[in-house]
Amino acid sequence: MKTTTVTLGHGSGGRQSAELVRFLVEGFMTRGIGPELEDAALLPGGYAMTVDGFTVMPRKFPGGDLGHLAVCGCANDLAVRGASPDYLGLSLVIEEGFPLDELKDYMESAAATCAAIGMTLAAGDTKVVPAGGVEGVLFSGCAFGKVHSPFPLGIGNLREGDILIVSGPIGRHGAAIASARFSLEVEGLESDCAPLWPAVRPLLSLGGLRCMRDCTRGGLGTVLCEWAEGSGLSIALEEEAIPIELQVQSLCDVLGFDPLYMACEGTLALAVAPEDGQKALSLLKESAIGRNAAVIGQVSGGEPKGMVSMRTSIGGERLVDMPWGELLPRIC
Amino acid sequence: MIPLRSDISLIVDGLHRLNTRPLSVMEVCGTHTVSIFRSGIRSLLPPDLRLVSGPGCPVCVTDQGEIDAALSLVERGAIVATYGDMLKVPCDRGSLASKRSEGYDVAIVTSAMDVAALAEKHPDREVVFLAVGFETTSPATAALVKEAEQRGLSNLSVLSLHKRTPPVLAVLAGDPGLKISGFLLPGHVCVILGHEPFSFLPRDCGLPSVIAGFEGEQILLGLAEILRQYSRGESSLASVYGRAVRPEGNEKARTLLDEVFVSRSAPWRGIGVIPDSGYALAERYGVFDAERRFSLTIEPGKSLPGCRCGDVLTGKITPPDCPLFRMACTPLSPVGPCMVSSEGTCGAYFRFYKGDS
Repeated sequence: MKTTTVTLGHGSGGRQSAELVRFLVEGFMTRGIGPELEDAALLPGGYAMTVDGFTVMPRKFPGGDLGHLAVCGCANDLAVRGASPDYLGLSLVIEEGFPLDELKDYMESAAATCAAIGMTLAAGDTKVVPAGGVEGVLFSGCAFGKVHSPFPLGIGNLREGDILIVSGPIGRHGAAIASARFSLEVEGLESDCAPLWPAVRPLLSLGGLRCMRDCTRGGLGTVLCEWAEGSGLSIALEEEAIPIELQVQSLCDVLGFDPLYMACEGTLALAVAPEDGQKALSLLKESAIGRNAAVIGQVSGGEPKGMVSMRTSIGGERLVDMPWGELLPRIC
Repeated sequence: MIPLRSDISLIVDGLHRLNTRPLSVMEVCGTHTVSIFRSGIRSLLPPDLRLVSGPGCPVCVTDQGEIDAALSLVERGAIVATYGDMLKVPCDRGSLASKRSEGYDVAIVTSAMDVAALAEKHPDREVVFLAVGFETTSPATAALVKEAEQRGLSNLSVLSLHKRTPPVLAVLAGDPGLKISGFLLPGHVCVILGHEPFSFLPRDCGLPSVIAGFEGEQILLGLAEILRQYSRGESSLASVYGRAVRPEGNEKARTLLDEVFVSRSAPWRGIGVIPDSGYALAERYGVFDAERRFSLTIEPGKSLPGCRCGDVLTGKITPPDCPLFRMACTPLSPVGPCMVSSEGTCGAYFRFYKGDS
């Protein structure tokens, strides 16, 4: 680590977040009891487990709120590893003085989302801290589910020729939050926050399914960079094929952000063997979140190895790298 | 409208036909620099056409001494509000981001007018707008100053680090060490200023100069126009951004600039002090001038050891030629300002360039 303190850059989901995680789990790794650093861990006995924390600001945003987000975030980490969202644990750290009605709203929306996907609240905890101890309320969730995929899904399965698919327009959650945070109202801009399990379930029957990722912090760009680096293969994208809503694009243009790195909360990237590519696409298109799913590129064995390249809309070639540090809006 | 591929390939073919000898064209604006990388334009250009990035990223040209002055304001208890990518710009004793993590008050705004609301919200605090940018952002600062006067916001002041584009281009065009054959002029600045302030480039310096927008297609068109002029031995000021830039510019914005600001000499990081290249608040609005209110004097900063941002900003080297690039200087711990901003040349090279591609 180059710094002596934690910075906001460490929370941005890009390369710096990965550095922080490696730094923190070092003691576990060296003892051989560390995690495999996927969205959820596959446990012996056919179960998957994940943990996630939620500190979104504002807590209510177009397309969702903190409670809905907490459930989707946990459930989606399980889903992309082929596990059903069965059990949820929720831990709340609440600042003294926080309005009870608002807290109840988040729990109500969490309950509604759980009910919709068949998830049971199995455990929970509350802590109240003096004013100033946290900002409002922090939600942490732990989720547990049965693995339904016949084989483990993960980066290790990626092969040359695999087709890359994204389940819908990217960057909507990040853009919705940025629009609220920077008071830039964009009509029709909503977070994509939604459970992925209903869309994922039918995909698990495909023998050619390689791996899936929930494109959260760091966005689609970060996920694909991790796939390329993790597999040592090259990933080739077609810029024009990547679905981006006009609202997201225009907000990003104003703030100087790249939609590739904007967070999603109900959008997944998946890699599938070429023979199952069309099947995967049509299965996704039948689901509520996947109507605008699209093939966006391919895994190749060529150069540059371990990197993501993109053919741009004007026919140029460029590289896609992980974002570095905190995303800050630019000047002009 | 997304242009058809065939249009693009016609322009690219034209570029290849017109480029008969080695040429360097400077794109002045940071937004152009990023768009050139994002759209992969270099991969489409003829091998003899070199693009050189100019001093058009406001963050990058902000001098060390100016950052130092801003840090002294937060240390004195003021709330300093500024645009996001100013936060990470370092001087030898830190950055606004490092001050923020020490608990000082630094606010990110996306428009100058947000600062008025901030000042109203904190009537018992001094709120200073760290105003940076070229002629594109300075009209918004001018509007803020007038608004502050109208609302009687006596706790609001502006540290104006605004820079003017034409004087720095005059310096670059006159630099014998810099072999530039033409300029791709910044579209947004020309929206405000119009054509006239840049007409000296073709007239007095014989340099083809073309105003272009920011889509890949417009950049390619602009380059084709520069090559066309060059191949015929002509030099004129042309625009391929007619839908946004009127020849006379935006008169309302220019009137606002003339009313609120006066030009003064200003330090440019890595380039030095350039006469008339900055904007200070006019006497009439002196009460909102943070330099006056806090008795600040901005000393041009010493350059950071080893940092060659000055040579990058003037197009004398490309970032990979700097010994610090990718080694001591990365977006996570930038040494020079060109690595800080998403529009800085070094930052763009870092993200998009991995070798001779």
